[in-house]
Amino acid sequence: MHDRTARTRLSVLTMAAIAALMATLAAAPSIARAAPSTSPLGETLDRVQPRIVKIHGAGGFRGMEAYQSGFLISAQGHILTVFSYVLDTDYVTVTLDDGRKFDARLVGAHPRLEMAVLKIDAENLPYFDLDQAVEAQPGTRVLALSNLFGVATGNEPASVQHGIVSVVAPLEARLGVFETPYRGPVYVLDAMTNNPGAAGGALVTRQGQLAGMLGKELRNTLNNTWLNYAIPVGELRQPVKEILAGRFVAEPESQRPTPTRAITLADLGISLVPDVLERTPPYVDAVRPDSPAARAGVKPDDLVILVGDRLIQSSKALREELQHTAPEDPVRLSVLRGQDVREFALKKE
Amino acid sequence: MGRDDRVLDGMNGTDRMGVPYSDQSDTSGRTSLLRARKPIVLTAQRSYLYLHLRPSAFIRGCLLPFVYALVMLLAAVAAPSTAAAAADDLETLEQQAFQAAADRVAPSVVRIETVGGLEQVDGVLFGSGPTTGLVVEPDGYIVSSVFNFLRRPDSILVQLPDGTRKPARLVATDHSRMLVLLKIETDKPLGTPEIATRDQMRVGQWTLAMGRTFEGNRPNLAVGILSALGRIWGKAIQTDAAASPANYGGPLVDLHGRVLGVLTPLSPKPGETVGGLEWYDSGIAFAVPAEDIVRVLPRLKKGEDLHAGLLGIGLPPGDSSTAEPTIVACRPNSPAAKAGVKAGDRIAEIDGRSVTRAAQVKEALGPRYAGETIALAVLREEKRLEFKATLAADLPPYERPMLGLLPMRSISERPAPGVIVRYVYPESGAAKAGLQPGDLVESLDGKPLDDADALRGRITEHEPGDTVALAVRRGQETLKLDVQLGRLPDDIPGEELPAAHAVAESGAEKPAGVGKIEIKIPDVQNDAWAYVPQGYNPAVPHGLVVWLHAPGRVDDEQVLGRWKALCDRGDLILLVPKASDPAKWLPSEESVVARLVENVLGRYHIDRGRVVVHGHEGGAGLAFLVALRHPDAIRAVAAVEPPMVPRPPDADPVHPLSVYLATAEKSPQAAVVRRGVKLLRDMKYPVTLVSLGQEPRYLSAEDLEQLVRWIDTLDRI
Repeated sequence: MHDRTARTRLSVLTMAAIAALMATLAAAPSIARAAPSTSPLGETLDRVQPRIVKIHGAGGFRGMEAYQSGFLISAQGHILTVFSYVLDTDYVTVTLDDGRKFDARLVGAHPRLEMAVLKIDAENLPYFDLDQAVEAQPGTRVLALSNLFGVATGNEPASVQHGIVSVVAPLEARLGVFETPYRGPVYVLDAMTNNPGAAGGALVTRQGQLAGMLGKELRNTLNNTWLNYAIPVGELRQPVKEILAGRFVAEPESQRPTPTRAITLADLGISLVPDVLERTPPYVDAVRPDSPAARAGVKPDDLVILVGDRLIQSSKALREELQHTAPEDPVRLSVLRGQDVREFALKKE
Repeated sequence: MGRDDRVLDGMNGTDRMGVPYSDQSDTSGRTSLLRARKPIVLTAQRSYLYLHLRPSAFIRGCLLPFVYALVMLLAAVAAPSTAAAAADDLETLEQQAFQAAADRVAPSVVRIETVGGLEQVDGVLFGSGPTTGLVVEPDGYIVSSVFNFLRRPDSILVQLPDGTRKPARLVATDHSRMLVLLKIETDKPLGTPEIATRDQMRVGQWTLAMGRTFEGNRPNLAVGILSALGRIWGKAIQTDAAASPANYGGPLVDLHGRVLGVLTPLSPKPGETVGGLEWYDSGIAFAVPAEDIVRVLPRLKKGEDLHAGLLGIGLPPGDSSTAEPTIVACRPNSPAAKAGVKAGDRIAEIDGRSVTRAAQVKEALGPRYAGETIALAVLREEKRLEFKATLAADLPPYERPMLGLLPMRSISERPAPGVIVRYVYPESGAAKAGLQPGDLVESLDGKPLDDADALRGRITEHEPGDTVALAVRRGQETLKLDVQLGRLPDDIPGEELPAAHAVAESGAEKPAGVGKIEIKIPDVQNDAWAYVPQGYNPAVPHGLVVWLHAPGRVDDEQVLGRWKALCDRGDLILLVPKASDPAKWLPSEESVVARLVENVLGRYHIDRGRVVVHGHEGGAGLAFLVALRHPDAIRAVAAVEPPMVPRPPDADPVHPLSVYLATAEKSPQAAVVRRGVKLLRDMKYPVTLVSLGQEPRYLSAEDLEQLVRWIDTLDRI
């Protein structure tokens, strides 16, 4: 599958592609009329690049790169980046686009959003105004700027990749599908942006407007592929303001409530076929006579496919899903009988 | 698939009005956009577009393409402005076009969910997440990728764009193009997309890869260009848009919102169930053309599974782009054999198209299905012959026949024609017919023989049980012997074999390196060394043994101690690659081993028929991988206590593979080996099974002697 080398190669390819694209855009109009001095994409990048920073800190051993990316959000040197082990040291160095290096101080962090604000002592810096940030739509063409793989050193500008917003979707919260506490919406991207060191980089539109912050490397366990994504600025704006105002209080983890006591299949009168496989399909083995399930019409050999609107893919998943339902609440169960879907509302007596 | 021609006419209208925009070429469309445009007009267009983006799906579906066409039209007639602003608007326009095209197809892109099923297929971990399908007929027929069902789920659900879930039935599978057809019951007709025909495709045009796999039941998009047509032996088109399990089964769409094809992972190498997955999100992705799907839809709807059509011929090994289209083997009872094709025939035409290289044969046959009939023209001794063959889904397992002899190995540059018999297997057809060591076999069935390879090749055209006529010179006599062909033996000859070649004159040419030598190749971090016999003579063909150690440290001295004398005596070169992590071999190191083998093959005189990969435990597992991935190079596997015996491709005459398996009765691998022996023998591979007694161990000195004798017999005929 995808190892590091493969991803490296890809990112290099993408960068080559964007170079080619820029060349094309610069060259194409010149065929029709007088040659412009620079391409619009080049102009956009000239404006955006000075706002991107390289961050070096803790790490450096196997699989833990000691660097990440960030971007300026104030003229006084506030920097937005991801909250990670890289910041877990007193010696965080920020390198600006022009090569100047600064010691950075952690102003505040938001554990659930995995976001942090740093501060360097400098003035009159170019920056992204979070209030001017835009919302991207599926299909919006975007540029990702980051120091992926630490390719850029010193005053070299960050690497640029191009792509589109593939879809705007929440990170699936169920069954710990993503190993991140963030559960909000993300911009899923169609370019290989989320590589080591890219986290904290900026996602901008082709006009250079800020849209999001590149997230960490994440594997989508739903289909076992790497996910490339950015967190929309809209999710970050308010927490950043709180941090800058010094008012920030870490919010409690928002999780699906689990009642202290939960309803069970036995309460409903259903027993499933023995759970012997990794993903045993939840077929009804027997229905206890005179139980809620029997009265509603659930029958042996029905296959449970939904609880409420949640898809149930195995016996284990069904039991876990019911743990979120209190004993006194009704359970809406959809079953597959042959090729028919039937829905039942069951309530414990 | 349904077509909405009204919309298409709208597009063509702009064409007819003289705007340099072609319905068939997005490239020219882009060029025309670049030429002229007025920003103020476009701003108006944007807001117009925006106003109409929100309303119902109906308006989105029908009106947007009109709006898009209008944008194109106005853009093209508008006056020129500054280049910067123009290109900026091109960006925006293209972005709007992506969204409009995606919106047109979105109602036909459905989400597929499954219940139950496996967690792993062929060692690849599968998620249980949703996958994608494409509606192809309004009454509920949906096409998707085989990849999405490799887990063999117990139940399939289709979630329509409006959120309703319907149980789905898997109607049929196209094993050639890795697609499936599903059916759901529906009262209201489903939206079907318009499809693009082959002549509407231009390499370089924009493409959108679409899926519906993320939370929220919204379509996900990836943008790229059409990279190539006619890929994977003519079965697929290629795009650089990101394709992965997030959109396999979904459509590849053009800027008009027409479906070019259905995304599915494909591999140019046949036989790998999850082949192509390793290229996910890499910029190399494939889609089966929608037109081709439409053509086979009636058959799939009837529940007919489709398979790639096989002819049953072997083409010359090596690079098919340079190889001649000469049939080196023709499988008995295959469609080719039934049609009357013979080994030695040179293919001149397939279905009227002329053929000059082996690759063109693969290209012509690649897209064909089993059950289809092809017309074949071949040249046989300058004569043109024509045949018709009906392709088959599978061929009866090929079993290599054997005369029952070992040939002498030639060490002269210009050997006399014929094959000198070195050894005759007791009880074999050759022995029964009276063949003796020292005999010179001059011809087979009346045709003269150049050398042992020619004899071996000619024998592969037969089946065990056939009788062939040999002309044999013994001293001054010429004998006619009828030999009934037998099967390859499972046993190793118990006796010492006679010398394999005449005594070689030494010293003419000093070889590059002998003794223990380090082997270093660029970009490979693995250590490796080889032992080349001290008396190596480039005139003598040597066998090559690749030793893949069991997990743990390798004791070089011990390995050398075991093999030195065996190599010196048996004309063998030993190659010892080492795992980069001594504790385990990675499956990917298969390619490292192959490159090392290639290196040695290039430096020394190696008999290609005696290249053996020999491994112990984890190394034995890797040995099988190396052999299966590199059938051109590897002729035999000698596996001691392998952790697995993978299923090889069907045996074929061009890539013979012999297998030596050794296990102990109390070994945890004993059951694996037993099953492996059965599997391989059922597939008609020659398998030699060696018992190591009760307790698991590596081969003893005696076992190694026997293994070397087995290697010495691999050039049997």
